[in-house]
Amino acid sequence: MTSYFVRRFLLILPTFIGVTILVFTLTRLVPGGPIERMLNEAALAGAEGGATISSGFDGRGGSVLSDEQIEQLKRYYGFDKPVVLSYFDWLGKVFRLDLGTSTRYTEPVWETIKSRLPISIFYGVATLILTYGVCIPLGIVKAIKHKTAFDNLSSALVFFGYAIPSYVVGIACLTLFAANLEWFPLSGFVSDDFDDLTLFGKALDILDHAALPLIAYLAGSFAVTTMLMKNSLMDNLAADYVRTAIAKGMAFRRAVFAHACRNSLIPLATSFGNTITLVITGSFLIEKIFNIDGFGLLGFESLVERDYPVVMGILVISSLLFLVGNILSDICVAFVDPRVKFGSGGSNQ
Amino acid sequence: MSLLNLNPQTIKQLKRFRSIKRGYWSSVLLAVLLVLCLVAELLVNSRALMVSYDGEWFFPTYTSLKPGTTFGLDYAYETNYRELRAKFEEEDEGNWVLMPPVPYNAFENDLKVGSYPPNPPSFEDEHYLGTDSTGRDIVARLVYGFRIAIAFSGLLLIFNYVAGIIIGCAMGYFGGAFDLLFQRVIEIWSNIPFLYVIMIVASVVVPSFLTLVIVMAALGWMQLTWNMRTSTYKEKGREYVSAARALGAGNVRIVGSHILPNTIAVIVTFVPFSIASGVTFLTALDYLGFGLPPPTPSWGELLSQGTNQLQAPWIVTSVVVAMVVILLMVTYVGEAIREAFDPKQFTYYE
Repeated sequence: MTSYFVRRFLLILPTFIGVTILVFTLTRLVPGGPIERMLNEAALAGAEGGATISSGFDGRGGSVLSDEQIEQLKRYYGFDKPVVLSYFDWLGKVFRLDLGTSTRYTEPVWETIKSRLPISIFYGVATLILTYGVCIPLGIVKAIKHKTAFDNLSSALVFFGYAIPSYVVGIACLTLFAANLEWFPLSGFVSDDFDDLTLFGKALDILDHAALPLIAYLAGSFAVTTMLMKNSLMDNLAADYVRTAIAKGMAFRRAVFAHACRNSLIPLATSFGNTITLVITGSFLIEKIFNIDGFGLLGFESLVERDYPVVMGILVISSLLFLVGNILSDICVAFVDPRVKFGSGGSNQ
Repeated sequence: MSLLNLNPQTIKQLKRFRSIKRGYWSSVLLAVLLVLCLVAELLVNSRALMVSYDGEWFFPTYTSLKPGTTFGLDYAYETNYRELRAKFEEEDEGNWVLMPPVPYNAFENDLKVGSYPPNPPSFEDEHYLGTDSTGRDIVARLVYGFRIAIAFSGLLLIFNYVAGIIIGCAMGYFGGAFDLLFQRVIEIWSNIPFLYVIMIVASVVVPSFLTLVIVMAALGWMQLTWNMRTSTYKEKGREYVSAARALGAGNVRIVGSHILPNTIAVIVTFVPFSIASGVTFLTALDYLGFGLPPPTPSWGELLSQGTNQLQAPWIVTSVVVAMVVILLMVTYVGEAIREAFDPKQFTYYE
């Protein structure tokens, strides 16, 4: 088993190289690469008198650069070399933990990413706690009260959450509760006067801002987790060992909580590691909708503004988290379920 | 496996599907919507259904464009049928124009003097759900956006199914090195941060309809492949396969006419969910601005307009309601199919 996980960890490397090489080549090979695009957009922005897109040029505004400057830019970002060479240059830097310099903020990519991470981690952890905190009890109650009014009613809600993608829930919440009813703030992570608030006020402020995004995040995993819990508990309740326990005189409650529940948690462990990746993948849309300055919004903005060093940096971190998350899931499963044996024709699916 | 000679098993499944009312009626309604979508030009269009001018009848919907001069107007570009209708009504000479229920197409900006779009819903202007921020009719954008999204998901489905069925069956049936190789490929492939990579691709190449389908298919074929592999692998061990082989059937015949029909549950069950995820995904990409290029009508683009213009709640409301209704129906159908093909009964301890 250990050897299996060691192999899995070793497999991270080729996968990681595969993913990055794919994206790296794409950003280079296409005609009208980033530099040309930057120039075009700078020219366009200059023509429109706007300075929104040209921020990558350090206040040089919309002026079209001279050939020499373009060459300099190309050299600076490694566009003057063949793809393979510049890829290995880049990869070498990544292994030395240097992700390059953001074209937009002109600071190291890692610093930019690091400054956004706490917000994303806050949402990731809060979602994790909420998901398991809500879904496990709900699943248990639904299984015990199978086919009662409560079960049917909550099933409708679960079904709704299952059919509707979380970003639509987010947009609906934003329009209804923030824009129309004005119960919650429209966007952001904290208010403008956050620094002046008391500690309690700060906590309240964060909660106030976090309520709607958390609903949206929760909507994404709510249905699947609840039903997984319900179904696996029902499977276990029908199993012989629970029947035996009750036949021997154990109270039904105790049979459920001491025996059936523990075993029902196993399928949930499969998805545990993936919640790490929720911090990254789930957040593009929701962070954009609620304008939360986290990892996802950074990725989105750097794509819009063609800040490729940041784009690649985020790809590096998110694919690493993705890979580690998947392995973590498997470790969780192996940990809670001694019957699982990886390594003999095993797979991660 | 002809369609008319349904085997008893299939008939039973169809009956079970029909008995699940919610799913059955959703599928009927969806089918009606799809048909209406195909002829959307007759329902939502700026071209008239029928024009009677000087005793002659015109049906401009599907013909090449008719310049204004055709109807005695003083311009040579395409006739504005709404104005023509108003003109005919004013003149009252027996000429008339029959417009579709929603007399706008998805691209024209209906700008009015003295009002700035987005305009709220108005029956008088025949903008039943209002206009978006450039004055385009929301009903038209929704209908044509839906058609594109469904066509997109359908095409994506075909790509994914061709890849999934061929590779999945081969993996399950042949096993061995081929299976191992593709297991690794799938493992690597499913570790790609899907949405982000598509966004990167779309930011580099402005995607056309087809490139977007291909890119998404290239990144999304694994799920079905994996399920096909599992079920082919299971079927391969059954006696009927050995029997077929003993009778001298070749690999292609065994897979094609013996194993494949028996994995139909997997194939069919996936259809509604693939469609739903295709629509969801395209909308998300469009919302982020990395989907189909403007001015393609799309739900995601409307959503993004709506969230930027929260003072115009009719934009968001229309799209969200449309999405909720469609996705709920598709999911109802999906659940019903799943239940019809794989009735999972819980024996429950009381």
